[in-house]
Amino acid sequence: MARVLVIIPAYNESESIADVLDALKRHAPDYDVLVVNDGSTDNTSAIVKRMGSADIIDLPFNMGIGSTMQTGYKYAVAQGYDIAVQCDADGQHPVEQLSRIVDGVVAKKADMIIGSRYVSDTAYTPSIFRRVGKSLLSRLVDSVVGGGITDTTSGFRAMNRAVFGTFARTYPDDYPEAEALVIMHRHGLKAVEVPVDMQPRQGGQSSIGPRRAAYYIVKVSMAIFIRMLKRITHAPDRGESDTAGSDLVEKTESR
Amino acid sequence: MDDTLLQISIQPGHRIAIAILSLLLVGLVLELVRRDYLKEKYALLWVATSLTGLFIGIFPGILTWLTHTLKFQLLTTLYALSFLYTLGIILAFSVIISRLVERNRVLAQEVALLGNRVRHLEEGDDHV
Repeated sequence: MARVLVIIPAYNESESIADVLDALKRHAPDYDVLVVNDGSTDNTSAIVKRMGSADIIDLPFNMGIGSTMQTGYKYAVAQGYDIAVQCDADGQHPVEQLSRIVDGVVAKKADMIIGSRYVSDTAYTPSIFRRVGKSLLSRLVDSVVGGGITDTTSGFRAMNRAVFGTFARTYPDDYPEAEALVIMHRHGLKAVEVPVDMQPRQGGQSSIGPRRAAYYIVKVSMAIFIRMLKRITHAPDRGESDTAGSDLVEKTESR
Repeated sequence: MDDTLLQISIQPGHRIAIAILSLLLVGLVLELVRRDYLKEKYALLWVATSLTGLFIGIFPGILTWLTHTLKFQLLTTLYALSFLYTLGIILAFSVIISRLVERNRVLAQEVALLGNRVRHLEEGDDHV
């Protein structure tokens, strides 16, 4: 059976992290869980340690979602997992539908399966800037990558070792989801999406406020453009055997 | 504008001042390196800057020649040169900072991963 690691990036998520871990224990008891605490100033780390159902890595200071997720991918490589899943700590991602995205990767339908947002709750109305930004970005990514992915910024995604092994080497710093798809494309890795129902946030603050929308679009568009010009320095690890035992101190490609 | 006008724009007093300032900069840079406030690697950049200044102080003809060739005024030449030079140095620093940021990121990640392993080793579980 495939060893699955659910990676939860967490920055000041003390209001919701316990519920997410509880839900994981209920709905996905076979998956290991890793919380990567991105320098939280609240007691997120203490809550996770007290519950004991998840492993935890505490980053020494706040590094942003990209570096946080990459730490999780490095851990997954070092521990020899077959599949890694990204899942938010704020309770928006439907843990009970995890198997839908994981099973697709197990069945080798694609290298990555993205659970895309079809929010049923009408209380969730993102700002106009955010919606326009996301739609523009999705079109840009789709024009580069193809495959008709509509929700390129969804952080609810499962991937095989070829993908997270690549991400352990090179991963964007901030707003990484869309650019990560371009990195995959450049390494010949394929992503598909399946619809999932997302929940409204349970607590904490969104990491993307409407004021950041302009920066978001410019930064990610430029990053995608530059990413297409960069040289590929590593071939993805497609091997099924466990060759990744001691990758903890592997050199990271600079971006 | 003829050559005589250009020549008198840099008077001997000015040339001496430029040379002295350049020598002072060399001295300051060497002192900073001696006190370990400045790495030799980056000091080279500043020593090169000072020596350029000294060179111009001794041979101001290079400035007047450049001004004449580019059909500039002397002030424009000086301004363009110093602006481009400053821009180049700032760009070099941006590259250096980017490399430091990347290394800082990798280091912090390694520290966090090692911290996790140490905790498991101390707790004596078979996870590691």
